[in-house]
Amino acid sequence: MKLYVYCLADDIEALDDPARGISGAPVRLLKTHDFSVLVSDLDADVVQVTGENALAHAAVVRSILDRTTPLPFRFGTLVTEQQLVNYLSSRKPALETKLAHVRGCVEMSVKIIQEPAAQESAPDENVNQGAGTSFLAQKRREILGGGQSAAEATRISTWLHDKISGLIRAEQVTLRPTEKLILAAAHLVERAKVKKYRENMAEACQSRPDLHFLLSGPWPPYSFANIELEFKTQFGVS
Amino acid sequence: MSSFEQIIASEEWQETDLSLLETLDHVLNRGLVIAGEITISVADIDLIFVGLNVLVSSVETAHEVLRKRQTE
Repeated sequence: MKLYVYCLADDIEALDDPARGISGAPVRLLKTHDFSVLVSDLDADVVQVTGENALAHAAVVRSILDRTTPLPFRFGTLVTEQQLVNYLSSRKPALETKLAHVRGCVEMSVKIIQEPAAQESAPDENVNQGAGTSFLAQKRREILGGGQSAAEATRISTWLHDKISGLIRAEQVTLRPTEKLILAAAHLVERAKVKKYRENMAEACQSRPDLHFLLSGPWPPYSFANIELEFKTQFGVS
Repeated sequence: MSSFEQIIASEEWQETDLSLLETLDHVLNRGLVIAGEITISVADIDLIFVGLNVLVSSVETAHEVLRKRQTE
């Protein structure tokens, strides 16, 4: 028997309405090292990546979002109780710092895509160029185009940041994660500022009809839970 | 608070689909990791790409549909 782990918090004493989680398993609260961890007992070694399971994971984490801001575990975290206890005890100070960082906040997500500019046709004189010259000319166009694309993504990122300046506690921005996606950003927003954040984002959307926005939230702070903490832990960086 | 109180886009989106994909993107790609102790049915690195690709392809597909509508 293993524990499927959903999230942890430090200010939950009991579950108001015990939910069902992965595979319909009951969710319970495991209290250890001053943490409250939402877990399910699961008689399995593998958790299948299905939409149903992913949504079940999300629903359990979200079930306490109105009461606190938990640190979500990544989908598929299946461990023994001893492994979980070891993890919590060895990372207690870092986890407490993380909880303090996200306390009172929710995550808002923004993704922006842009209509790709029409490809410039090659100059007519290229018709008579040799294969080598054509190859180099094509490479030059790709490099110049990539530079312009990166610069545009940076400009849009700065513009977006200015729109919500003062409303976010932290952000994670990835520029050009794919060719068509200009940026993907996660913003950590204090609950009291979510309304204003939305208003500002709505204005931003209206002012740039050339861009397509996908805004979602509020989320538990999935994007502010782990990466830096894990790297610090694994590589010993203070 | 509901999962998606607000989704803003230039046109109508299939909000249910996007909500699901956004949920998958968050749940599969992010969150606390107990290093070396994750047991899932595919490799961790694959999950990262699966989540991101699913989301982005969907957005792009939706965008393509919208663009066709506008030109009709």
